[in-house]
Amino acid sequence: MSSATHTKGAGTRETTSRRSLWAGVLFGVGVAAFVDEAVFHQLLHWHHFYDRSTSSIGLVSDGLFHAFSWFATVLGLVMAADAVRRGELDKRVMGGGVLLGAGAFQLYDGIVNHKLLQLHQIRYNVDIAPYDWAWNIVAVLLLAAGCWLLLAAPRRRGGAD
Amino acid sequence: MGDGHHLPSPLWALQWAAALAMVGVVVAYLAAASRLRHRGDAWPWPRDLSFAVGGAAVATVSVAPLPGGEFTAHMLQHLVIGMAGPLLLILARPVTLLLRMLPPGRTRRTLLAVVQSRVAAVLVFPPVAALIDVGGLWVMYRTPLLAAVHDQPWAHALLHLRVFAAGMLFTTALCRLDPMRHRYSLTLRAGTLVVASAAHAVLAKSLWAAPPPGLAFAADDLHAGARLMYYGGDLVEVGLALVIVLGWYADTGRALQRRRRRLGAVPSGV
Repeated sequence: MSSATHTKGAGTRETTSRRSLWAGVLFGVGVAAFVDEAVFHQLLHWHHFYDRSTSSIGLVSDGLFHAFSWFATVLGLVMAADAVRRGELDKRVMGGGVLLGAGAFQLYDGIVNHKLLQLHQIRYNVDIAPYDWAWNIVAVLLLAAGCWLLLAAPRRRGGAD
Repeated sequence: MGDGHHLPSPLWALQWAAALAMVGVVVAYLAAASRLRHRGDAWPWPRDLSFAVGGAAVATVSVAPLPGGEFTAHMLQHLVIGMAGPLLLILARPVTLLLRMLPPGRTRRTLLAVVQSRVAAVLVFPPVAALIDVGGLWVMYRTPLLAAVHDQPWAHALLHLRVFAAGMLFTTALCRLDPMRHRYSLTLRAGTLVVASAAHAVLAKSLWAAPPPGLAFAADDLHAGARLMYYGGDLVEVGLALVIVLGWYADTGRALQRRRRRLGAVPSGV
């Protein structure tokens, strides 16, 4: 892997992994936003499109985050294509980035959107506490798995050399 | 609005005039592109397709009866004439085609001077274009303006024209495909797109909760229209994001190849 980096790649290994990492994080944010939209809004109809208790600041924050997540999906994918073109895509680093991005989105959605800004709840007419716990624990697990992949990456590569 | 059952006839005539004008522009584009190819210039055919589909969509929603309630139909019309249509039309680089077609002379010089003028540069400065486009939408839906023009065919037609023109300006500013005085950066265009899309999404949600002042719609109609605005806006936003980011990909690719040539390396895998 490192010999490929030396012959084909233009950057150092550090910039190489940074490119893969950012491609992953951006794409991860987009994937999590997409899953949230597709599963919880459209399929299950648990989330409400608009909750009348939403504050203006909540609406603005939601709008910005929503728009950003679409842009992040597209940018992340094209950045990955750019890394492939340079012969520098590190799949493990990118995978770690995807998990980090998805976990960060999930945690932000669970803490800031659902609880602090009261944008909408995970589900209505039920005891919400277990849902909130499950939601945020999944977020932490995603983050932990991402960190594990990223920390394991250089060691594995070192072992393979 | 779009498909009212008792349309005042002047509005009907104006809508047909707009639709026929759009069809005329499409025919002129296709003829120009074909002449260009006959003289040996390369002009990719997807541009013809994009322009024809965009023009046909704008013409269709201007005159055809649209599904759904009054507000939903109005929203579908605006989504096409203000967002999806402009994206498809601008992707076809109409100004570039016109500049290539015009023989050297006064008309061409004037067009070039207008395109590269200081005023045009200010208008296509992304935040300005976004303010005109999305700011205009906020004024239209959150003030009594829409209620005021509801029964005024000329004012109503003018409002539609403004939605189309502002959409064309916004798309031009973000996509940066036709020649311009300034080449605004990727970051500025991307940031503008995200903020403008957010303002669009917030407006859509606010319409879900409350109709434009002075107008009343059935709750189902209002909700369906607001959702259409929200998700339809998303779809066009993804399209615009793709244009911006793929532009960056192409620019980076050219820079990469130049560097590889300088280093004397064989360009592999490109």
